[in-house]
Amino acid sequence: MNAIVSSEMLVPAQSVAPALSVRDLRVEFPTAMGAPTVAIKNLSFDIEPGTILGLVGESGAGKTTLARSILNLPPMPGRITNGEVWFEGTDLRRLPEEEQRERRGRDLSIVVPNPRGELNPLITVGDQIATRAQVHLRIDKKAAQARALEMLQKVQIPDPKRRMNAYAHELSGGMAQRVVIAMSLVCSPRFVISDDATSGLDVTVQAQILKLMRDLAFEQQSAMLFITRDVGITAHFCDRVAVMYSGEIMEIASREDLFLDPQHPYTVMLMAAFSHNAKLRSQWRAPDESRENATPSVGCSYASRCPKAQSICHVEHPELLERRPGHVVRCHFPVERT
Amino acid sequence: MTALLEVTNLRKRFPIAGSRNVVQAINGVTFSIAPGETLGLVGESGSGKTTVGRCILGLIEPSDGSIRFQGKQLGDQKATRALRGKIQLVFQEPGESLDPRYRIGLSIEEPLIAQRVEAAERRNRMLEVARLVGLSREMLELYPAEMSAGQQQRVGIARAMITRPELVVLDEPTSALDPTARADIIELLMKIQGDLGTSYLFISHDLSTVRFISHRVAIMYLGMVVEQGDAAGVFAHPRHPYSMGLLSAVLLPHPHFKLDASVSLAGEIPSPINLPKGCFLATRCPFAIDRCRTEMPPPTDLGGGHIVHCFRNQDVAHLDRASDTFAEFQLETERILSASAPAPAPELV
Amino acid sequence: MSIFAYIGRRLLLILPQIVGIVLVSFMLVKTIPGDPAVLMLGPTANPESLAALRKEMGLNESIPMQFWIYLKNLSKGDLGTSWQTTRPVLEDLLTRFPATLELVSFGLLTAILIGLPLGLVSAFRPRSWLARVADFYSLATGSLPDFWLALVLIYVFYTLLGVAPAPLGRLDMAILPPTQITGFYTLDSLFAGDWEAFKASVSHLVLPVLALGLINAGPIFKMTQSTVERMLQSDFSRYEMLCGMPHGLVLRHALRNSLPSILTIISVLYGFLIGGAVLIEIVFSWGGAGQYAVQGVLNSDLYPVLGFVLFSAIFSLFVYLIVDLIYFAIDPRLSH
Repeated sequence: MNAIVSSEMLVPAQSVAPALSVRDLRVEFPTAMGAPTVAIKNLSFDIEPGTILGLVGESGAGKTTLARSILNLPPMPGRITNGEVWFEGTDLRRLPEEEQRERRGRDLSIVVPNPRGELNPLITVGDQIATRAQVHLRIDKKAAQARALEMLQKVQIPDPKRRMNAYAHELSGGMAQRVVIAMSLVCSPRFVISDDATSGLDVTVQAQILKLMRDLAFEQQSAMLFITRDVGITAHFCDRVAVMYSGEIMEIASREDLFLDPQHPYTVMLMAAFSHNAKLRSQWRAPDESRENATPSVGCSYASRCPKAQSICHVEHPELLERRPGHVVRCHFPVERT
Repeated sequence: MTALLEVTNLRKRFPIAGSRNVVQAINGVTFSIAPGETLGLVGESGSGKTTVGRCILGLIEPSDGSIRFQGKQLGDQKATRALRGKIQLVFQEPGESLDPRYRIGLSIEEPLIAQRVEAAERRNRMLEVARLVGLSREMLELYPAEMSAGQQQRVGIARAMITRPELVVLDEPTSALDPTARADIIELLMKIQGDLGTSYLFISHDLSTVRFISHRVAIMYLGMVVEQGDAAGVFAHPRHPYSMGLLSAVLLPHPHFKLDASVSLAGEIPSPINLPKGCFLATRCPFAIDRCRTEMPPPTDLGGGHIVHCFRNQDVAHLDRASDTFAEFQLETERILSASAPAPAPELV
Repeated sequence: MSIFAYIGRRLLLILPQIVGIVLVSFMLVKTIPGDPAVLMLGPTANPESLAALRKEMGLNESIPMQFWIYLKNLSKGDLGTSWQTTRPVLEDLLTRFPATLELVSFGLLTAILIGLPLGLVSAFRPRSWLARVADFYSLATGSLPDFWLALVLIYVFYTLLGVAPAPLGRLDMAILPPTQITGFYTLDSLFAGDWEAFKASVSHLVLPVLALGLINAGPIFKMTQSTVERMLQSDFSRYEMLCGMPHGLVLRHALRNSLPSILTIISVLYGFLIGGAVLIEIVFSWGGAGQYAVQGVLNSDLYPVLGFVLFSAIFSLFVYLIVDLIYFAIDPRLSH
């Protein structure tokens, strides 16, 4: 089988105002005693309309916290202590509670994993989608039902008319996920977050769902934030990719740049995990495994695991700097390739 | 060389309570595993791969067919008891299979307690196996909750290896792990196989990992092995439409490497109740002809142990363009990884 | 499974349940120490009637034979006679049971009207002042006896303020009870168009219903609060919030999902209060079934006690049946 250059995602360069801009976001979780745990530290990134930003990181990096915090509903008992979330020129955090609630679901939408757990078990899926439309679009019940049916057809659920009256427990995982996607797109939101939305699905179903989300987002020209643990997904479905570690963004670049020229040692380590060459893999791992769980408070948060760390890394916290056009890295000694 | 494990025409039906229907979980599965070999068993939900593993372990009784281990028929109580310890299991969720109240040293020893081995001998073997999987002495005193998922899985492997099994059934052992931990565990498993000659039945839906660790692979769909053979060969030159469809869904972490998308399977996997008469894939298969809907394709031997169940496997072969994307991806990854030394003091842009 | 099939199945199950109850109550008779004939005829009975009763009840026969006699009498509607009232127990219960039912039904309704909204608000705003007051309230109702509250209410509203009627039964002395249709004085007086009786029955109900309602609102509040709070933390509730659904809707959905637990405690309370309201009945001289049964116990008058056990057990069975039907109607997962 030949390698095919993936050409589906050629997005023309545009200098438009970003749809979503996160600036200096900081989220803390109180602990039983002492200083709170900082789950997200001064996070900033932009997403242009009609593009998909992939956010990849391991478990514990803070991805779900970020997803919910963008909607200003951090998971309990977390609190957002600093930062701004600019959506189409307005800082969402400064809006009154009622307006924030209106925007959620209508202009900003989130797709979550484990769809059958997220859907209300006592109400038909058709009603759930219709209610969403009714509440946010201020249309009457009949129009909402029609729109719900339209969305079910769009997400290619087989036999959509019958499925309108189905309950969550009657659907398979793949179908339930399509319902959740229909629900999140029924109001044509301009920004969609997918929080690990395809985990737990079969591979072939996952492929269909990813393609569906990308196509629908493109059709509605929405901006999308694709959060995942699966590096492979970002390589094929995102325009730009951000790498997250310990609550910070370590690197952002276009898809091509990130995978062909990864600059941050953590990014390289993530990719090394897929290599069959054990010697190469070990070059990018921490020299001492027991230090892997340590998170220092000063300097670079990756320093304790980094094979290339030097003394300055443990002392001075690196900033996010633009190394090449459109490619930013947070590292004192980014990787140079000859 | 005689096979370590021989599964012949295995079938399993589960009756559904309150109805006359049955779930046809396994429908005639045949494969073998040689000593020191890894067979990857691949499939999606409903494929029956987990049920096959359970039958081999003796947890479920087959409805039909035979399982022979070291030449002896498995199935009756006496045989299973005699083999206790020679076939072992590693679970998917490492955290959930460890008793949270036991220190992991004790969890690792547990299988030997069941075999009534004395305390001193138990301790020795526990230390030996802990060294084998790379757990330090200090770690043996920890509780499962104090360890990362990757370390917990090491404990799971240690616990399986302590009875010196000849065959280990691993049911999705790395699916719950992050990529780095996954790579570590796979490396560990391969090292153990190199040192001790253990065979593995590696059950997984993660094709990249299966490709890495398996010598041979068997692809299952709705309780049948649709294609099996040498892992590199099957993944590079699949001859069954389902294998192609499955491979086309694999997302390698590199934007330039996409496995051929020329075969896409429409729709979802049908229910394993009331399966159709002919080939199970016929409803979704772009190659399906009338014969496929009425007759079950017999095994076609393509040479070198590559067996496929498809009437149209020749046509599938024509679509295949002869190159091994997995291998190409590995080469490219190595090129990216072997960067030269990091640059000196950074310049601020 | 359709709802009719479900009802059919449940009704079939009621038959063996009733047989079980009858068996247990019969066994209860057998385990009471002393001579059953004396227990039934009272200490003033003469030896001839005692001997006649023994023969009639078949006390000299085998146990299965006695049970058979007992069943035969039951099927004829003969629950025996109370030697205190000298009337058939069935007659007594038919007048007294509705009295208790009226009191308990209104009491429970009041308890729901107080406890449910309080529980909802506390679950939704756990740190508000209302929630704190409600917590204290539930603590108080858990530790205060209902009859004490009744006495306090009587003291305040009757003795001090004089706005409540005397706690001497369901109606004023001068007013005749309306013709019995349901046994509920409030309803029957409405049916008969008897305005005086209606006003009287309502005014006499106010204090005891208040006492019952205020105290029993506690457990309903607690159950509502804890279940709804848990629901609001569930995956789908948080998801609805993430989707920007209005608070009212999220709360309504959470309540709907909590209904099974809340209904369960209401049904348990209902069954319990039939007998459990006895102290209130005594304080207000209500003439209810609980009071009747307690008198029977205190004076070793056997038949009223047995009759009461049977009545309240069957009542509970039907309450549970209705609750199960409601579950079936709300939760689609049960019909599959």
